[in-house]
Amino acid sequence: MKYKAVIGLEMHCELKSNSKVFSPSRNSYSELANSNVNAIDLAFPGTMPSANKKCVKDSIKMAMVLNCRIPEYMLFDRKNYFYPDLPKGYQLTQFTMPVGVHGHVDVPFEGGILPVDIHDIHLEEDAASMDHLENSSVIDYNRGGVPLLELVTEPCLHSAKEAVAFLEFMRSAYQYCDASEADTKKGQIRCDVNVSIMDEDATELGTRVEIKNVNSFGNVHDAIVYEIKRQSDLKDAGRYDEVVQETRRFDEESGRTIHMRSKEDAVDYKYFVEPNIPRYRITPEWKESIRREIPRLSHERRREYLETYGFSETDATVLTRDKGISDYFEKCVDLGMEPKEACNWVTGSIVAWLNKNEAEIKDFYLTPEMLKFIYDNVKKGTISGKQAKEVFTKVLDEKKEPSAFISKENAQISDAGELEKIIDEIIARSPKEVEGYRNGRDRLFDYFVGQVMKATRGKANPIMTKDILHSKLDV
Amino acid sequence: MSRFTKEMVDDYANKLLFDLTPAENKMVLDEFEIIDRNCDAVNTIPGIADVPPMTHCLDDFVVELREDEAEPSVDIELLLRNSDETSGREVELPKVVD
Amino acid sequence: MKYTEKSIVELHGLLKSGELTPADLLAESLEKIHVLQDKCNAFVTIIDDAEPEAVTDSLLSGIPYGVKDLYSTKDILTTGSSNTLRDYVPFFSATAVENLDKAGAVKAAKTVTDEFGMGGTGTTGHTGIVHNPWDLDRMCAGSSAGSACAVSAGVVPFALGTDTGDSIRKPAAYCGIVGFKPTYGMISRYGVFPFASSIDHCGAFARSVADVAIVIDAMKGKDDKDMTTWDSSHIHLYDDLKPQLAGMKLCYVKELCDISHYPNPHRELREHLANFMEKMELLRANGAIVEEVSVDQALLNAQPSVYVILSCAEATSNLANLTGLIFGPRGDGETYIDVMKDHRTHGFSSLIKRRLVIGSYVLQKENQERYFKNAQRVRRLLVDRWKELYQTYDAVILPVGTGPAKHLDGSLDILDEGTSPLEEHMQIGNFGGFPSITIPDGFIDGLPVGMNITGNNYEDQKVLNIAAAIEGLMDYKDQIAREVKR
Repeated sequence: MKYKAVIGLEMHCELKSNSKVFSPSRNSYSELANSNVNAIDLAFPGTMPSANKKCVKDSIKMAMVLNCRIPEYMLFDRKNYFYPDLPKGYQLTQFTMPVGVHGHVDVPFEGGILPVDIHDIHLEEDAASMDHLENSSVIDYNRGGVPLLELVTEPCLHSAKEAVAFLEFMRSAYQYCDASEADTKKGQIRCDVNVSIMDEDATELGTRVEIKNVNSFGNVHDAIVYEIKRQSDLKDAGRYDEVVQETRRFDEESGRTIHMRSKEDAVDYKYFVEPNIPRYRITPEWKESIRREIPRLSHERRREYLETYGFSETDATVLTRDKGISDYFEKCVDLGMEPKEACNWVTGSIVAWLNKNEAEIKDFYLTPEMLKFIYDNVKKGTISGKQAKEVFTKVLDEKKEPSAFISKENAQISDAGELEKIIDEIIARSPKEVEGYRNGRDRLFDYFVGQVMKATRGKANPIMTKDILHSKLDV
Repeated sequence: MSRFTKEMVDDYANKLLFDLTPAENKMVLDEFEIIDRNCDAVNTIPGIADVPPMTHCLDDFVVELREDEAEPSVDIELLLRNSDETSGREVELPKVVD
Repeated sequence: MKYTEKSIVELHGLLKSGELTPADLLAESLEKIHVLQDKCNAFVTIIDDAEPEAVTDSLLSGIPYGVKDLYSTKDILTTGSSNTLRDYVPFFSATAVENLDKAGAVKAAKTVTDEFGMGGTGTTGHTGIVHNPWDLDRMCAGSSAGSACAVSAGVVPFALGTDTGDSIRKPAAYCGIVGFKPTYGMISRYGVFPFASSIDHCGAFARSVADVAIVIDAMKGKDDKDMTTWDSSHIHLYDDLKPQLAGMKLCYVKELCDISHYPNPHRELREHLANFMEKMELLRANGAIVEEVSVDQALLNAQPSVYVILSCAEATSNLANLTGLIFGPRGDGETYIDVMKDHRTHGFSSLIKRRLVIGSYVLQKENQERYFKNAQRVRRLLVDRWKELYQTYDAVILPVGTGPAKHLDGSLDILDEGTSPLEEHMQIGNFGGFPSITIPDGFIDGLPVGMNITGNNYEDQKVLNIAAAIEGLMDYKDQIAREVKR
């Protein structure tokens, strides 16, 4: 690549909460238009905002995750402009005093660290949504007033890969902190991307182009790649002056960015502090209690699992993709399960079951305690590994405790004396096979194992069985 | 030399989504002049730049944030009864094209 | 029948005893409202189908009243005296109105206001000019013109108002009645059409300090829907009303009250200030300490511009929801911009449009520092100066305006250089959220004039106590408008 690309990101993420950020109507997706709304959302004359405590708390939490400086007060501003999806004629946001400024995160990236500086993170409300019909448009105010956290990076990223790595890092952080589901498929994340190019040794930044409302990380990647190429081609051709400060949008179908509006059309938003929401003091005590709520994030846990337990990258990834899964795994280890086995259970049977049943770990019936119970029984020899898997399935199917399926009758036979007796009996009545095996036909070993299983109806402890057989057959 | 012009006033009105008559435009221009003169006077108040701007009416609000509990949605008939053009459950307007 | 001219307390007694029924009282009120409407044009909507309320222990039960048309009233037309909302019927009531409903008061009419509260003459409402019942050629002042008119004419014992830049307290003076705006946040503004949110106050008119205390008691209360409200449940303005003057320390501002400050004073102004000084003597004779203080003239001169800048700026934003899409008459047009523009061009009066343009200008990025932020700074200086005064004084007492009600054919709500601090000083009460009351204190040419008493935040009881004491020394309590014969 001939030029250095300079990229800045603005990431808007819908927050998780029962009610909207400045109005008590429901914050939830609904197919039915205008079913999560009230007078405030439609800006009826005389309505006023009331700030949601959970949203404020989550915004402070995320500001801490980003290592931002947090002000003493929460203060909101009005961003004034006219558009049909903005019934008040202004959006409540933060401009004068964002909940977090001057932050920084180190994103694990390609074996190393990608340092990202954060300009600010601020809490605001989403606009309503419009549907464009053939001859008219209609407005659904359900989304109007939904809480959004917008974070703005410094222009410190230099490739599409870096941008996506940062976005993935943030998505995971949002999910881990339970501040947002951060699901791009549900339209909960929207990004604006700023791209410019400059000569490697230049000191002045090039012309910045903004690509607005990119709704998936894949599209962010593609938009950046396209835009860098577009600008580079123009610069190569001596037509860099055609790169102007403008706003473009990414067209998924064609994979191109397309002009939307130029800088001259830029709107002055006439920001001023919202007088109807008094300054809310963020006490040191509250900050501390919020800080204590921040869990170890996925990248920290992943590093731990790789370094401390020596898991594979794949396993570490599966374990940390979802905080619920990671918490489950860690609980199993806390209860005394051997980490690798816990890992195998989680990344194997449990994830498979969840995927197959389209379920989430938080609703998973089989608790770590129950898994430990099954694990203990395998260790004791009460049941075989194979039987353990059966118990696992039965517990989930019938929603009963594992002890219901581990009983004397079902129990594995792990009594050496008992097994010896059975094995002696089989050896005694199979002289031909004994001779065949001792003469080198190794595969006959399976015959004996099979016979033991037949005699015990599959309950013989297989490891013990094999040990005893070897001790008697191998001379 | 006035920093205010007729075109400027019309531009402001346009951005506020209404039109002014020539007479109204003139009145605004005259009012601007007066305000501007008074603001010149304000700028001469010693130390004015160091005074913190007053953004709210009281300095000592006792603020409580709202607990995160959702309320049921308002009846659609009530929400739409004042709108002159609706379609189904939604407000309708000429197609918005950007 | 002249029951509607009586005080709330007296009416309550008559209703309780059964000498008067709520239905009869309401009927009388409605009849008189219609008559007054023909004469003075004080009402937007007359609620002819209002139902009387049963008498309970609540002092306001069964009492008819006027509601300024900025207060949302459920299922009753609420227009803001603007064509942008000329057909708007809210599905909810303002919290203050709900509180009065709970007290058993009866809404009899929606009163005219200057459009969206943005005027001081009572001449810019969409249903036309409100005339002063003392002299039909004069204004009631504004913006709560209709409410002041109704109470002054005796058709209701009380009426609601809002006050952003003296919109209760000046009409009260021009109409010879009591107008009170309590501390900011005592009464919820939820459901009240906003003009300038950091300066808007709710309040009421009545014909005595005691009556206005009763009304404010019923209106007030912390409201989860308005984050700027505070808990005033420990305050009982009427029960704890104790006229008090002896030992009170009051002050007035030299630069405003000293006649020698005015190079060519009109006779009216001279009489007005002389009357004020006489009343100060009366207060001294009754045990109050009344002193003259000085306030920086530069600050006083800047004050009216500060008000215009701050109020216009916030109004620009507060009126941005008026697009005719969800409420209000739908505009015509091919595009959504045309539709919104048509609604606003035809819906807003000339005054509103001019104010909004000014507001927009002062908020522009390149202008904010010089205009808007500086205005916020001067606001701080003025409020701090008043708070400094409150360290020594119990209240600041000043004449209202420059004399009696102005003529309707004078200049109407145009900013001119002649706008003097004496006309506008009550806006400081808005800047600081101070409790502030106007009571009648005399007559000039047969027309009432008033004085204003403003105290420190949360000292509403003290302000009412002082006002009640002063009221008791004069003869203007409970007075009803008597048309001046020319």
